[in-house]
Formats: sequence, C-alpha cells, structure tokens
Amino acid sequence: MLVVEGIKKHFAGIAALDGASIEVRAGESVGLVGPNGSGKSTALNCCSGFERPDAGRVLLLGKDVTGKEPWDVAKLGLVRTFQHANLPTKMSVMDLMLAGGHLVRGETIRHSLVSWKRVREEEADAVDKAWSILERIKLDKLAGHPGGKLSGGQQKLLSLGMALMGDPKILMLDEPTAGVNPSLRVELAEHLRKLQTEGVTLLTVEHDMRFISDVCDRVYVLDRGAIIASCAPAELSDHPEVLEAYLGRSGSRAVVESADRRTLS
Amino acid sequence: MVEYLLGVGILAAVYAINALSLNLQVGVTGLLNFGQVAFVGIGAYSVAILDSHDVPWIVGFLVGAVLAGAAGALVGRLGRTLASDYWAIATLALAELVRLVALNQDGFTGGAQGLSAVSGIWTGMSTTAREAATFATIVVVLGIAYLVARRVRNGQYGRVLVLIRENPDLAASLRHNVVSAKVRVMALSAVMASVCGGFYAMYISFIGPGQLLPFATFLIFTMVVVGGLGNTTGAVVGAVLITVLYDGTRFVRDWIDVSADQAAGIRILVIGVVLLGFLLVRTEGLVPEKVKAAHARR
Repeated sequence: MLVVEGIKKHFAGIAALDGASIEVRAGESVGLVGPNGSGKSTALNCCSGFERPDAGRVLLLGKDVTGKEPWDVAKLGLVRTFQHANLPTKMSVMDLMLAGGHLVRGETIRHSLVSWKRVREEEADAVDKAWSILERIKLDKLAGHPGGKLSGGQQKLLSLGMALMGDPKILMLDEPTAGVNPSLRVELAEHLRKLQTEGVTLLTVEHDMRFISDVCDRVYVLDRGAIIASCAPAELSDHPEVLEAYLGRSGSRAVVESADRRTLS
Repeated sequence: MVEYLLGVGILAAVYAINALSLNLQVGVTGLLNFGQVAFVGIGAYSVAILDSHDVPWIVGFLVGAVLAGAAGALVGRLGRTLASDYWAIATLALAELVRLVALNQDGFTGGAQGLSAVSGIWTGMSTTAREAATFATIVVVLGIAYLVARRVRNGQYGRVLVLIRENPDLAASLRHNVVSAKVRVMALSAVMASVCGGFYAMYISFIGPGQLLPFATFLIFTMVVVGGLGNTTGAVVGAVLITVLYDGTRFVRDWIDVSADQAAGIRILVIGVVLLGFLLVRTEGLVPEKVKAAHARR
C-alpha cells in the first residue's frame, strides 16, 4: 500500500529524517512512535506531499508519489489529518463534511453555473453520505454548529469524518488523541478499529502508547530521523534501544553515549 | 434631481459589480488583492480603445474580459510561489504596472490625457430616458453578477474557497487543488471587474490613468469591508452605501469653505475614516458572513 524508502529531509542543516524506511501493507494498522523531534510529523508530511524529501522515494499503491502535490497524493487515496484540527468557525459541521467530499461538478465554476440539476443531485448524495458518517461519529446533532466551535476532541472526530467523505484507501492520522478527553479517546480507537475491518489501511502517529496498542498491529519507532525498531506494540519494551530513545534523553550520559554512537556509525 | 439620482444609482451598480468581484477574492477566498483596479483598468481601456476605433462596445467588453481573465489567472498563479502577504504586494505592483502602461503608451491609451468621448450605451435616446435605460441595463448586469457570485459562493466551489481561506493545508489534504482553485477564482473575479471597468468608462465617457490610482482599489475594499467580508449581499449593500457617501461628499464645498483640492482630500479622508472605523469596531461589517444551516435529511 505505502512504501517509504530511505527518505531524508534536512531543515537548515538539521536532519529531521535520516534515511527512514517504512512499509504499510494493505489493511494493516501501523503506528509510528518516537520521542519529540524524532521526525514523525516530517515523515507524515513527506508521505502526504506537504514536504518534498531531499532523498528517498515514497510509493503509494505502487506509484511513485515522491514530491507530488498534496491534492494529487490525496486523489490516489491517501488522506491525512492534522495534529491541530483548526477547523474554521465560519463553516458549519455539515459544510465541512461536504468540503471533505469530492463533488466533481460542484467544484468547477462552469458546472456550478450551468448544470444546476446535476450539481444538486451530486450534492444531495454527498449530504446523505455526510449524515450517515455524522451519525456514526455521533456528531449528527451538531450538524448546523460552527465546526471551529466544537471541543478539541469533537474537532478531531470531525476531521476524521471529513477524511472519510472521500473514501480514503489509507488514512494517516497525526496525533489523533492530542487534546482529546479519555472517553472520546476510547471511542476514537473503536472507530479506527472498525475502519480497519472495513478495509481502510491506517498509519497513526501517536504519543499515547495505550492508544497505539489498542489500535495498531505493528509499530515503527523513529529516533533522530531513523527507524530503530519495528515490532508489535506489546513487544516494544523488549527493545532496549527504544527505552533508551525515550528515557535516555534525560540522562546526560546516555546523550553522550548516543552522540558517540552516531559519530561511530 | 432624477438625473442626479440615476447617476448615483448607475455608479452604485457599477461599483457593486466590482465589490462582488473583490468580495469573491478577499472575502470568500482570503486573497488580499490590492491591485483590483488593474482588472477594472484593463476592461475600461479595452472598451475605450476599441470604441475609439468604432468597434461595437460588446466586442470591447469581450476583449476586456478575455484580457482581464488571463491577467487574473496569471496573478492567481503567482500565489503558488509567493506567501499571501508578498502576493498582496505583487498585486499592488501589477496595478501600478497597468497604470504606467496606460500613462506612457500615448498612441494607444491617450497617455496622461486618457481617452475621452467614449460613447455610452443607448445613444439614440434623450438625456433622462437614456440615463434610465443605462441604469436599467447595468442593474440587469449587476443582477447576473450577483447570481453568479452567489451561486459560486454557495456551492461546493465556494465551500472549498472558504476552506482554503481558513485552513489551506486542510483543503489540500482533502484533495482540493489549492492553486487551481485560486487561479480560477482570480480569473472569474477579474472578468467581473473588467465588466465593471467597461461600464464605468462608458458611463462617464472617459478613462485615464488618474482613475487607476490605488485609491480606486481601496474605495472598493471599503465597500466590501463595510458590507461584510465574505457575504455576497453585503458587497452590494456596502457598494451602495459607500457610493452614496463618496458621491455625496462632493457637496462638501457647499457646507464648508475649502478649496477644490482640500475638498477632494476631505472626501478621501471620509472614506479612510469609515474603513478604519469598521475595521476597528465592526470587523464583520453590516451583513456578516453567515454559517450555513445544515442540509436537511432526505
């Protein structure tokens, strides 16, 4: 489904990604974890077209999408969400859901002026779909509410709903639980599991390890821009380098050691 | 008196077309176009130049629309590489470019003197009847422009444009081509602005570089801000109110003893104060942008 081969990305001389490789197979739910600054978000951005990697390749469904525009990547079926939902206050929940859909006719000026009837039909279908997704994520009662005025957790859910409007083949979620209350977190995990059974492939960037073990079949651990481990969530504690990446940061000895290790490698 | 009112009405309708165009860019899409007058100028000069060669006015409008549309698309394309604030400066530069070309291409544009005696519409009629017919014609065109703007705003395209204004990354992640959406809205708006320019030149039967100064753009900005950024009806309301205010202040010399230059300055000052006042006190304008109610279930 998604193959990332040795991508590198530097920002002002600092390597955010240093040859990371990831593979997500169709129908899998994969987690991407790592300490702050390890390059998780950059990896997500490189896959979804928001950053152009300096080196390496990104293959989506066998097609090379390295450096493609975000909308072109999305059209191939990869839809991502953002760590901060930042939904607009000037658009209703329903409007946002519809904006998440791909209404081919309504999106052109010509069609929206000329073929009223077909545009209306297209929109009516999208409205039906939006209602059913809103019911599923339990936001249907808030359909007329401004999206930006929902709680952080509801905005996250709505972002997921918007992404689902376009029937994505693979969903990439950037910290879906950040700012989400615990009960909604459980609900979110259920939604993701359900989506997986429906055939949606998932790649989740997350800090919350419990959420990761609830949702993911497999995790990649990213540290300083490189993948240091790939295993089932339960096996993470068996990897000493993972513990070091997370815990060793605070001890200066570990930092020196890891710096040495880097010089040597 | 009737003729004066008709005159103000014609100006208000012409400006309203322009305000609808600017609202699509600034209000709906969040594109700060400080060079709106460039598109107006392209339309006005196309009509005026072709008219001076005895070409029917409708051809002038078509040529103006094509040229302005192309210019709009080009300016929209610049948004790909420029951040929004730098893009805004670039639009200001474009407007100055158009003005300087108009000022210096004497043989073509009449240079600093501009082009006068542009023939209007309904030339066969007597004065008052002609004003009324012109007013009616422009109101019909405004009606069409209003419907187009409303239809675009309320459809999927408008939804995408608002999302681009509020969160362009989110729009891009949902497979909306942000660059193409901006290019198309700029082209459409530029065509509308060129129509405004054509009628403007025909109505006052003159166009010169003096009318392409940045103030002409800021006058329209004031209309859109007063009416309510992002609201199609608001743009028309703002255009009517500000036209009445701007035209009404022509009589400032009847009330206070100032020179002609000072009076012109006062008129601009009034517009500036209104713009600032609204930006500070009532940012959402008189007819604020609405959050649309959810569509009913089938």
